[in-house]
Amino acid sequence: MKSNSALSKLAIHALIILFIIFLLFPLLWVLASSLKSTQEIYSGSPTIFPQQISFDHYLSVINGQLIFRSMWNSVVVGVISTILVILIAVPSAYAMVRYKSIVNNGILGWILVSQIFPVILIMIPLYMVLRNIGLTDSLTGLTLIYVVWSLPFVLWMMHGYVKSIPFELEEAAVLDGATRSQVIFKVLMPLLLPAIGASALFSFISAWNEFFFALVLLKSPELGTLQVELARYTGMEGQARTGPLAAASIIATIPSMLLFIFMRKWLTTGLVSGALKG
Amino acid sequence: MKRSTIIFFVVFVGVVLVYLFKGNNNNTEKLPLRFVSLAWQEAAIATNKSIVNEWNAIHPDLQVEYIQGTWNSAHDYLITAFETGDVPDIFHYESSVIIDYAMRGYLTDLSQYISTEMKNDILDVAWATVTRPNGEVTGIPFLIESLVVLYNKSLLEKEKIIPPTPEAPWTWDDLQATARKLTKDFNGDGVIDQYGVGMGLRNSANIIMNTSISFGGSFFRKSGNHFVVEVTDNEKKLLQTIINMLHNDKSVSPASIGETGAGMIPGFFSGRYAMLVGIGSWARQQLVENAPQNFRWGVMPPLKAKTQMYGASTQTLSVPKKSKRAKEAMFFIDFMLSYKNTARLALNDWMIPARKSCLAMPEFQDTLGGWDITCSVVSTLSAGSWIGAPGYVEWKSRVANPVLQELFAGRLSVDEAARRIEHESNIVLSRYKKYGEVW
Repeated sequence: MKSNSALSKLAIHALIILFIIFLLFPLLWVLASSLKSTQEIYSGSPTIFPQQISFDHYLSVINGQLIFRSMWNSVVVGVISTILVILIAVPSAYAMVRYKSIVNNGILGWILVSQIFPVILIMIPLYMVLRNIGLTDSLTGLTLIYVVWSLPFVLWMMHGYVKSIPFELEEAAVLDGATRSQVIFKVLMPLLLPAIGASALFSFISAWNEFFFALVLLKSPELGTLQVELARYTGMEGQARTGPLAAASIIATIPSMLLFIFMRKWLTTGLVSGALKG
Repeated sequence: MKRSTIIFFVVFVGVVLVYLFKGNNNNTEKLPLRFVSLAWQEAAIATNKSIVNEWNAIHPDLQVEYIQGTWNSAHDYLITAFETGDVPDIFHYESSVIIDYAMRGYLTDLSQYISTEMKNDILDVAWATVTRPNGEVTGIPFLIESLVVLYNKSLLEKEKIIPPTPEAPWTWDDLQATARKLTKDFNGDGVIDQYGVGMGLRNSANIIMNTSISFGGSFFRKSGNHFVVEVTDNEKKLLQTIINMLHNDKSVSPASIGETGAGMIPGFFSGRYAMLVGIGSWARQQLVENAPQNFRWGVMPPLKAKTQMYGASTQTLSVPKKSKRAKEAMFFIDFMLSYKNTARLALNDWMIPARKSCLAMPEFQDTLGGWDITCSVVSTLSAGSWIGAPGYVEWKSRVANPVLQELFAGRLSVDEAARRIEHESNIVLSRYKKYGEVW
């Protein structure tokens, strides 16, 4: 029995290691490509690890394009839109869960329906609206779009999280003399923090990875976001400046990777807590 | 939550919003002309920027803002711009796509602004790719995209194969025979180690369309005011030749089926493919910059089938109809595409310049980099009969590329592929017929 269980543990660990290698391989390949010379990248017999480490592509990215400017733009747009989304979604979700109304189901249904429209379908009317209020070619306009874009899904997520918190906790706090705001900030918020973390991460990553809105709305080169900047390393007929593209991609990955490292606990707890019924 | 935390959040959001709005107070009086360029190679970007800087230095009253676009997203970017009216004043693209834009009424007719010098100096075949039958000019062509055959000199020499010359070009039969000779299983394990030919057939419509002209085909034919697609024996012969090389004598690498031309280059460097057939002339740049030391290569003149005629498309600069400054935009284009600047752009993008005066320059007759043979194909280029076919771009991506992919993968016979292309093409084209779009 013991040896059977040890064997199955070994098999599971082996599978996990294989899965991790499978997941990490593209990242490793990009990292290796960013450190190879262009000649080595185009060599007919590619190797995983660079034969000679070269930082030329990083230097070319840093000197040649607006990579840090575009990264800053992405951070600003991502952070602001995330804060706004959370500020709107949390009270809205709370109200929808705790204040029963006949329109609640309709609202939830509409949130789902709103997710099925393809971007290209709404792009032109959206652009017209933003132009009329002077918000094209501005990070403010893009931030608003991102808020509108990720709010429905975050609201849906938060709805599930709030619903999973037993109402009895709030009743107990009220019985102990807590006011409504104390109930929200002292009882509910600590319980919702993992969920807020997960939702915020989702919202930030959505904004960080978004390409099409940024491409169409922002005309001035200095306003471009990271994804638009990265696309500029690709050319026609499937060609790309592989080395600089890999280096820029690695640089671009760093902020979101750091965010994941700092928020991974919130993310896992948040995702799981949303799945439970109260 | 503590009051100080809430205050911090409110102040933070306030500060960032002020930052965002601050950048929005543009003075709209003398805005620069916006020029969207699709140059993407380092040298080409530098040349474009440098020309724009030179313009800006001598035209303080009419500045140009350089905006770097991308090939993959240019179509969506431009369509949204045309529809919303927030257009760049000048944009770089290619002839086969701008034709569609012109038919939809998105582009300014530039014919009235073209100088006599430019009109006479740009090759007729280049003008043919952008001129509508009513004389309307949809863009100024400046680079010609053409297909070339590249070969590994060392591998050919090893087999004592003498490469063709412009005076004595190879036929497709010659190519097939040579490819067979160059296809090798060195260790006798039944696995081919070196293929005679590599071809980027992943999105092969371009290669097939342009090459079909030399076989006397063209897929598209005009019937009255409209276009129809026909796959005749001429087109079938080209398709059958490639199929034979792929599946019968196996002298074309099967990796070709899923690869682009660019994707075949590493295999060319490693000696896995002795020749690259039907690759864009831009590929020479990769060879010059990235080939291993002592890698020797050459460019072959176009292969001869019935003729040596091949289709060409051009890269262009156009002005949207909704640009309010078409005249100024054309003034800039005139500068940007002067013969000297066209030569700079062509040299740095490794494509054929569309101007006769450039072709006469020694740089374009240099044997180094294969410029001499690449540019000599100009006399064998023709604008395909599909120029001006409404829906051609959609046809390429929705019909031609997928059916050809199935054909080369061995899932269809040539006859089946021909039937499917004809059937599906005419469904797509009839939809455009309904829109009433006419070239």
